[in-house]
Amino acid sequence: MSNDRIRNFCIIAHIDHGKTTLSDRLLEFTGTVEKRESQEQLLDAMDLERERGITIKSHPVAMTYKAQDGLEYQLNLMDTPGHVDFAYEVSRSLAACEGAILVVDAAQGVEAQTVANVHLAMKQELTLVPVINKIDLPNSDLPSVRRQLEEILAIPAEEAVLASAKAGIGITDILEAVVKRIPPPKGKAEDRMRALVFDSSFDTYRGVVVYVRVVDGSIKAGDVVKMMNTNRPYEVKEVGIFRPTNPKFVAQRELPAGSVGYVIANMKTSAEVKVGDTLTSSRLPATEPLPGFQEVQPMVFSGIYPINTADFEALKVAMGKLQLNDAAFVFQAESSVALGFGFRCGFLGLLHMEIIQERLRREFDMDIIATYPSVIYQVYKTNGEMVLVDNPEHLPDMSIVEEIREPMVRCFLMLPNEAISPIMQLILEKRGVLKHTESLDTRRVMLTIEIPLNEILVDFVDKIKSITRGYGSMDYEHAEHQASKLVKLDILVNGEPVDAFSSIVHRDKAESRGRALAAKLKEVIPTQLFTVPIQAAIGGKIVARETVSAQRKNVTAKCYGGDISRKRKLLEKQKEGKKRMKAIGRVNIPQEAFIEVLKTN
Amino acid sequence: MPPIEHLYIHIPFCPKLCPYCCFYVEEGAKNKNRAFLDALLLELEKQNQIREVIPRTIYMGGGTPTSLLADQLAYLMEGLKTRLPLHQLEEWTVEANPATVRPEKARLLKEAGVNRISLGVQSWNDTTLKTLGRVHSSLQARKTVETLLGAGFASLNIDLMFSVPGQTLEEWEADLQTTLEIAPSHISAYCLTYEEDTDFFLKLSKGHFKQDEARDARLFELTMEQLEAGGYAQYEISNHARPGHESRHNIACWEGREYLGLGPSAFSTLNGERTQNVCDTAEYVRRLNAGMPPVHSRESLDASTLLKEKVAFGLRMATGVEEEHLDNWHAEKIHLLEIGLLERHDSRLRLTRRGKMLADAVGESFMG
Repeated sequence: MSNDRIRNFCIIAHIDHGKTTLSDRLLEFTGTVEKRESQEQLLDAMDLERERGITIKSHPVAMTYKAQDGLEYQLNLMDTPGHVDFAYEVSRSLAACEGAILVVDAAQGVEAQTVANVHLAMKQELTLVPVINKIDLPNSDLPSVRRQLEEILAIPAEEAVLASAKAGIGITDILEAVVKRIPPPKGKAEDRMRALVFDSSFDTYRGVVVYVRVVDGSIKAGDVVKMMNTNRPYEVKEVGIFRPTNPKFVAQRELPAGSVGYVIANMKTSAEVKVGDTLTSSRLPATEPLPGFQEVQPMVFSGIYPINTADFEALKVAMGKLQLNDAAFVFQAESSVALGFGFRCGFLGLLHMEIIQERLRREFDMDIIATYPSVIYQVYKTNGEMVLVDNPEHLPDMSIVEEIREPMVRCFLMLPNEAISPIMQLILEKRGVLKHTESLDTRRVMLTIEIPLNEILVDFVDKIKSITRGYGSMDYEHAEHQASKLVKLDILVNGEPVDAFSSIVHRDKAESRGRALAAKLKEVIPTQLFTVPIQAAIGGKIVARETVSAQRKNVTAKCYGGDISRKRKLLEKQKEGKKRMKAIGRVNIPQEAFIEVLKTN
Repeated sequence: MPPIEHLYIHIPFCPKLCPYCCFYVEEGAKNKNRAFLDALLLELEKQNQIREVIPRTIYMGGGTPTSLLADQLAYLMEGLKTRLPLHQLEEWTVEANPATVRPEKARLLKEAGVNRISLGVQSWNDTTLKTLGRVHSSLQARKTVETLLGAGFASLNIDLMFSVPGQTLEEWEADLQTTLEIAPSHISAYCLTYEEDTDFFLKLSKGHFKQDEARDARLFELTMEQLEAGGYAQYEISNHARPGHESRHNIACWEGREYLGLGPSAFSTLNGERTQNVCDTAEYVRRLNAGMPPVHSRESLDASTLLKEKVAFGLRMATGVEEEHLDNWHAEKIHLLEIGLLERHDSRLRLTRRGKMLADAVGESFMG
């Protein structure tokens, strides 16, 4: 099949606007799957994905479609992760496409994620096929959605295909638009082979499966290839295309220029495969890699510790297994006085962090506690040197710090009009700056703000949801770092800093956070034999203080001959209980207390 | 082997069970008979064959030894005296309940050689007595004190309890004052302890009763102050005595010395072993008559366990313990000295006033 019969595209949409249903419908309509094999959500393989209605890992699929012009086309559908945490993966997936179907809900209209995804697609210069979905809903509002397409996304409204994926309306129109509007891949079959790596997965029997878009040349089993970034050579064992159901991988003789498919070579771990890297021939290597390769940088960091210290090794194994399939997740062993041995973990974003934690709990049955999430700071020292700091413990002494820059995000908020004033208050609280306001229709408005990533890590999305009673939506893209008045807040128990509670916070917030932490600790630390001061400190300066008063009485009145054994065993048991506690200096704190405090964050 | 010098005898009968008491006790008189007394004496004889008993102290507790009928009591005392050499005897205590001591019994005990009575008064307040489920009234208790003093017991202990549900600070102060006016040679003042498997514990778990650390601490402080001002030395956490009237038997236990316990549920600590007899009077009698030992559990005590006990319980006494006993716990010792729970006195370590309030926490430090 020549290049002009191939279309590489993806579907982008806000959550719940019908991306998955539309994918399923396209697969059925093209006969790629029989209707009876189609479970809901064919492309979302992980339980967690189905539950949350999101796609985390991309699953490309090849479909064959006989168009109205009488010709057969190969349509390669790249299902993209639907969340900005995976923006890098999204943009790699987009880089493997020439076009994208943009799905907008006919009732909900353009949402925050729609905007973020369209921005990504436009950066890649993809041809967009706008689809207004769910037109059969009684509350659909086509004029308003059309206006939003034009005004917010600058997409001509007349291009929009009207559809209902659920009811099977407009599917042919969509497929025809894909064939007619999205250009075929431009690769040159005669050039030296170059293929863009846009994803990978791990198969227990076959090792790493690399997902590629062949740009120039072709690739087949027996070829010796190499990654241009690592220069490591591999012998190709198999190439092929994807199917949505088992068998998922269908071997082919070769992958020609313009096609999307998989390559299995002798790669052991997905860490060897960098998404965005270029695969080329080892014998006749291309001179230039495909543009745009960058190492995936984790944006959010958090310590993950086993609740039961004996589970450390099991946790390490579990994390290793997750990493096989998710090279963006990084971890390294660290130890905390308070929490024992655990791991410092890096994630692409909040959702990625939540998903990893949830998978550790669910798929590996691990009992874990996570520390307060942190972002990565650029710390400029007085000697001009810059260090990246993701753990408050590693912050250099402030006397040699010139400036700390924190990562910012550009955040899109779609809100009902009446929520503007409480949301503006929230934004101010979170140190956000309003950049742009646009009304979407008579009821809704879109705010574009710049806000420190650190401020949206924990409860920002929840707060927006609760203020807007679920009607608000938010998405963000990463912006540049910005200098800020940041300080390290330490919590001292009986004069000893407790590492698990240290954090890097904005100066203006340090006191209130210090007070809140100290008050919570006072609540959960049991009385000791002596008075225990709990202090929050910035540098050497105490900004908040609480006191756990000393235990007053702990003595059994009666203790005679017959009771001695029983009494001793009671004391021994108490002592054993103390051993299970963490000792901060002379203060014994039960681990549950740490967990309590970390939870309230 | 040296002779056994300290003897405890458990008489497991009470007219009525107290709702806070967790000792092995029987209500009613089913097993309160000659057969039981013979079994006790038989156990003593058997012990005597293994290791001679030449008591320096005898302590008869329970239960209520004075709930035995006068002729039963006479039979038991006679039986003990014919089996025990008493030339070393310094102290012979019998626990008594105010409702069960008539002049006849008091005289009988005195003539048998008992020289110390421990009287379970608990309170001089009839409401508090009712809460505690005691069978006697405060008036009865007063009469019994007179009876005992009249019988010539110079050494008399009065048991009191504080932090009883409903008891106010003023009521407790009044109990202390009344006791000081009566001026016994010894006062035991106990903070109510909620022991598992008691009615009181159940009520506490259900929330009918509340524990209050601050209140307990205040009452305990008040107790120490008032009794000290009244001329009583607090020679152990809950025990206060005029000079020379300390309970030698109990001191022996706290110092970790060996003792023999006779009777159902009684503990013995002998030959590096702690044993407990069966907690069932009928079974106790049956075993002894069948020539079987009445022991139901044994725990062997190695040197380190004995040392732990010696330190944890020795520290409950005003005299404290030899500093060298704490050599294994250097860091703990320094810490407790620093935070003012322990203090040095000659070559000994003892609890400070605040240390006494936290004696269990201090004791716990030496369990590892």
